[in-house]
Amino acid sequence: MKFLQPLGSYFILMGRVLSKPEKGKIYYQQTVKEIVSLGINSIGIVIIISIFMGAVITLQTRYNLENPLIPTYLIGLTARDTMLLEFSSTIVGLILAGKVGSNIASEIGHMRITEQIDALEIMGVNSASYLILPKIIATVLFNPILTLISMFMGVFGGWAISVATGALTSSDYIYGIQYWFVPFYITYSLIKTVVFAIIITSVPAFFGYHVSGGALEVGRASTKGVVASSILILLFNVILTQLLLAK
Amino acid sequence: MITIRNIRKSFNKETVLNDISVDFDEGKTNLVIGQSGSGKTVLVKCIIGLFEVDEGEIFYHNRDIVRMTLRERQALRREMGKLFQGGALFDSLTVEENVRFPLDMFTSMTAGEKRKQVDFCLDHVRLDTAHKLFPAELSGGMQKRAAIARAIVQNPRYLFCDEPNSGLDPITAIVIDKLISEITHEFNMTTIINTHDMNSVMEIGEKVVFIHKGIKQWEGNSEGVLTSDNEYLNDFVFASNLTKKIKEKL
Ligand SMILES: Nc1ncnc2c1ncn2[C@@H]1O[C@H](COP(=O)(O)OP(=O)(O)OP(=O)(O)O)[C@@H](O)[C@H]1O
Ligand SMILES: [Mg+2]
Repeated sequence: MKFLQPLGSYFILMGRVLSKPEKGKIYYQQTVKEIVSLGINSIGIVIIISIFMGAVITLQTRYNLENPLIPTYLIGLTARDTMLLEFSSTIVGLILAGKVGSNIASEIGHMRITEQIDALEIMGVNSASYLILPKIIATVLFNPILTLISMFMGVFGGWAISVATGALTSSDYIYGIQYWFVPFYITYSLIKTVVFAIIITSVPAFFGYHVSGGALEVGRASTKGVVASSILILLFNVILTQLLLAK
Repeated sequence: MITIRNIRKSFNKETVLNDISVDFDEGKTNLVIGQSGSGKTVLVKCIIGLFEVDEGEIFYHNRDIVRMTLRERQALRREMGKLFQGGALFDSLTVEENVRFPLDMFTSMTAGEKRKQVDFCLDHVRLDTAHKLFPAELSGGMQKRAAIARAIVQNPRYLFCDEPNSGLDPITAIVIDKLISEITHEFNMTTIINTHDMNSVMEIGEKVVFIHKGIKQWEGNSEGVLTSDNEYLNDFVFASNLTKKIKEKL
């Protein structure tokens, strides 16, 4: 039952986050800033890991499918569907939970212990909303773009490794990635991405916002924020998959 | 004018403020003094509503903050300026942006009007060359001055300063004290200053409230501090050898 209390304070905090902003223009500027710092600055890492994962999935499928009865273009299909269904949303979500989550928790935690949050409050600013809402909006808007980039780069990585190693021919791979394409998989992945974006920002923000003490506690809050958001991503992955894909 | 009546505050059964009543005067520097841990910071945080009091009333010109809704409090807070013990400047903003922040947030002033007001405040605290610097690039005294500029940028009626000169050398400390006192008189603010610095008490103590272990022990002005017969206050004031010697000479 002990987990119920943080859950309660999480929802109280989110209630404050979602209350009407003082001044729209400032929130808009903050959101643009956060899109740059949380979104655009993550493009590099997303591209790199997606290319490598696309490549390794393709190789593994190739070397585990020695059966001559199975056509090699299915390897392209497997690489594509793995990226679309799981990798580009969930794994990228987990990696961003580490990168973006620790960044958010330590930034807000540091502001808490140096009284910057109190300073906002005393000016009459709703600090929860000012600090957290732009981050949530920025990731909800931008992470779907990261997911699409990841899908594209993963499929590209599979193609590149096929050509580079001769594991399968370029035309087989390209035929495979077009074969039996289910557009809903992209929708499914984007829906997951949006839910994960909310988790990745709001959960570490919650841990950062409620820090008390010193630098040590900020570090701890950042770890807790990353662990909690990772677990929640895995949990919601199961829930959303059951809801969206069960026939 | 801020009036507090019978304030009580405790944390987990440990009483930090015990039945405190004071009138803080308008247009004066009101000093709250006491040993470390006596409850000064908690008192000010209660007055501005960052902590909820367990009991008591706090009036800002007859408006009781204890019984206000969050919205009403936020509106009242726009009349307050606060200098935090550590400055609490926003790290990610330059000095200029820090000072301009409340204007951006709450006024519809034009860019030119804002610039004028920011320059006016930075000139006032004698920081007219630090506009583009970040807080991490300032010395402790400059940070305090930038924080004062931010606190006064909206012409507050009420100014709160928590240990404005802790960690500063005696000369800079007096500069900051005088600055706060000057601003208080110029704009007729109700200013409350927490301190354990006897120099500040003698320099700007128009009204002095002494707290010991959460109880108000004494109230008066800087003159009275030296001649009072309150035992705790005497221990506080004449703690050092220097002050003891001065007392013997008196
Ligand atoms: N958030 C809090 N939770 C629990 N106890 C607190 C809290 N804040 C302060 N206290 C306690 O209240 C007492 C008074 O603290 P306060 O910070 O007001 O002292 P102070 O007079 O400002 O001291 P200093 O001169 O060192 O700043 C201390 O015993 C402290 O432990
Ligand atoms: Mg204090």
